[in-house]
Amino acid sequence: MTLWRQAALLLGFQLRDELRTGEVIAVVIPFGSIALLVIPMAVGIETTLLARIGPGMYWAVVLLFGVVVTQRSTASSTPSHRDALVLLGVDPAARFAATAAASALLLLLFEIGVGLVMIVLYDPVVVGWGWLALVLPLVAIGLAMLGTIAGSVTDGGGALAPLLVAPLAIPILLGAAQATEGLRLGAGILRWILVLALVDVVLALAGVLTARLLEESSR
Amino acid sequence: MPEDPIVAVEGIAVRRPGALILREVSLELRSGEAVGLFGANGSGKTTLLRVLATLTRPSSGGGTVLGASLGTDAVERVRPRIALVAHDPALVANLTLGENLRLLALLAGRGVDDATRSLEAVGLSGASGRRAAVCSNGMRRRAEFARVMLAAPDLLLLDEAHVGLDPAAGDLVAHIVESVTGRGGGVVIVSHERERVGGLIDRSLTLADGRITEVGR
Amino acid sequence: MKRPIEIAAAGTMLTALVTGLVVPPDAVQGDVQRIMYVHVPSAWLAYLAFGVTLIASLAHLRTRDLRWDRRAGASAEIGVVFTGLALATGMLWGKPVWGVWWTWDARLVLTAAMFFVYLAYLALRRTTDDPVIRGKRSAVFGIVAALQIPVVHFSVVWWRSLHQPPTILRPGEPQIDPPLLFALLMAVAAFTVLYVALLRRRVELAGAEDALLTTVRIEEPVAGSAVVGPQPRGEGA
Repeated sequence: MTLWRQAALLLGFQLRDELRTGEVIAVVIPFGSIALLVIPMAVGIETTLLARIGPGMYWAVVLLFGVVVTQRSTASSTPSHRDALVLLGVDPAARFAATAAASALLLLLFEIGVGLVMIVLYDPVVVGWGWLALVLPLVAIGLAMLGTIAGSVTDGGGALAPLLVAPLAIPILLGAAQATEGLRLGAGILRWILVLALVDVVLALAGVLTARLLEESSR
Repeated sequence: MPEDPIVAVEGIAVRRPGALILREVSLELRSGEAVGLFGANGSGKTTLLRVLATLTRPSSGGGTVLGASLGTDAVERVRPRIALVAHDPALVANLTLGENLRLLALLAGRGVDDATRSLEAVGLSGASGRRAAVCSNGMRRRAEFARVMLAAPDLLLLDEAHVGLDPAAGDLVAHIVESVTGRGGGVVIVSHERERVGGLIDRSLTLADGRITEVGR
Repeated sequence: MKRPIEIAAAGTMLTALVTGLVVPPDAVQGDVQRIMYVHVPSAWLAYLAFGVTLIASLAHLRTRDLRWDRRAGASAEIGVVFTGLALATGMLWGKPVWGVWWTWDARLVLTAAMFFVYLAYLALRRTTDDPVIRGKRSAVFGIVAALQIPVVHFSVVWWRSLHQPPTILRPGEPQIDPPLLFALLMAVAAFTVLYVALLRRRVELAGAEDALLTTVRIEEPVAGSAVVGPQPRGEGA
């Protein structure tokens, strides 16, 4: 069985598990929305200020709370289940790809949910929907892979995973925030799209190449 | 036809920070043989089982499992022929028993029908739509045996497999053990209740402090 | 082997300190500029140390030799200390000269990011007692981080190049008087020797820590054997 077929099977069942558990939809999206609700209470509620800072605050929330999506309970399996998969001959890279893909899809859902809340609460000028349709998945994929790697080096996350992810996610935040800013100002954003794509490529390579090593390191 | 011997390991030691979990374990398991592995908690039974399952790399010593040398890439080829039933069931809590088995069947390159049949064989066909999280311990154990039937292993490793089983399920274990040994495979049963597995095994080994201290029958 | 390098470290540090204090003050900034003799070498050591961590991580994955892992960890520890020192002295220098503790200069942002990356790396190393597992996990993260840091670097540089900061806030590299340059080079040399001395000590200490953790004292019972399990019948006698 090919690596892709294994990954696709695992992805399907992982998503089913997550939809039944409902952690991202019922917990993380509301949590991110609350963050967007309290920020104006802290910085002031002038509509022009909020419209100006809305997109930036949105991306900061996506970065920081998106880590929680990647560390959800269904992203890690029990030791016994992991052993069973190893004995079935499931490639560690397939497991990495499946978990990262599930996280990316859920992050996209998170981005859309929290994005709608941001538009309602902050009323920013949103232009370039076509470009956003590219930026949102690129951000989701990069953050998902970073979170998956962090989850596996920490063997299930905990408080450490966000600290591992956040500083390395700076290019993702800058790429996303500058791209949206560029769209608003009508400037070229190709450079930032490339930064996001580069992050995704680098992390995909790192994740696939190190998956086997990490499998051994979890005993 | 499985290799003979199924397992031949010598001088296995497993070191962990501050402890030598296994010291000098040598073990041979011949084709068609079932061996009981006894010992108190912490004597190293589970670790030895994981070494035989190729999941834990020994710190020193070595040997072969199903003809593949431990610590080499060759073990990856024989892994699908090994089944391990551990303390905790290898089930995803929020998937149904049927889904759990289907996932494993498909990953093993089998069909969905095989998953259904194996659940029937352990008497769980009525519960296939139940989430693993809401099943009783006994049902989860049975589902584990469905997984074993699906794998049809040449090396079966059971870690306290009798915990939480009623007498009917005990017969199921006996049936599975016999089917593996009957095909020429090997079985290792870890337990600390000698009398419950006495009828299943050909010989017994006792582990204490990471060493085999007693060989019986 | 160890003593000479430590004596050399102490000697060069002392010489650098004296040189840094006796050279004339900067024409514009006055005595405040002497912070440079700590700030610049600290920043240099940070990069050196993280570079060594990367090389040692790769070597560890290749050889699976735990000595490389200890070198990687020791070097990262020193790197974090000196990154912190570079950031702190930078702030102390910035306040009197530019009037602010912090500015969004690309180099500063990158240094702060690296500080947190390697702080996380050190925290990761503490999550397991098993040196073999620690070695693999931290090497993998160390390499992922090293792959990603250049991307962080470029993204931050591009970000700042779009919004040029006021030029007076940029640390001035322009012509530096020869005596001042000499003092700076002295300090860089002294810090480098200090790094080597610290690294050796720390690696030695890490080796002792691992030995303490992994050595099995034979007279002590093995893990778990203190728990008395149900004794199988028919045993003993």
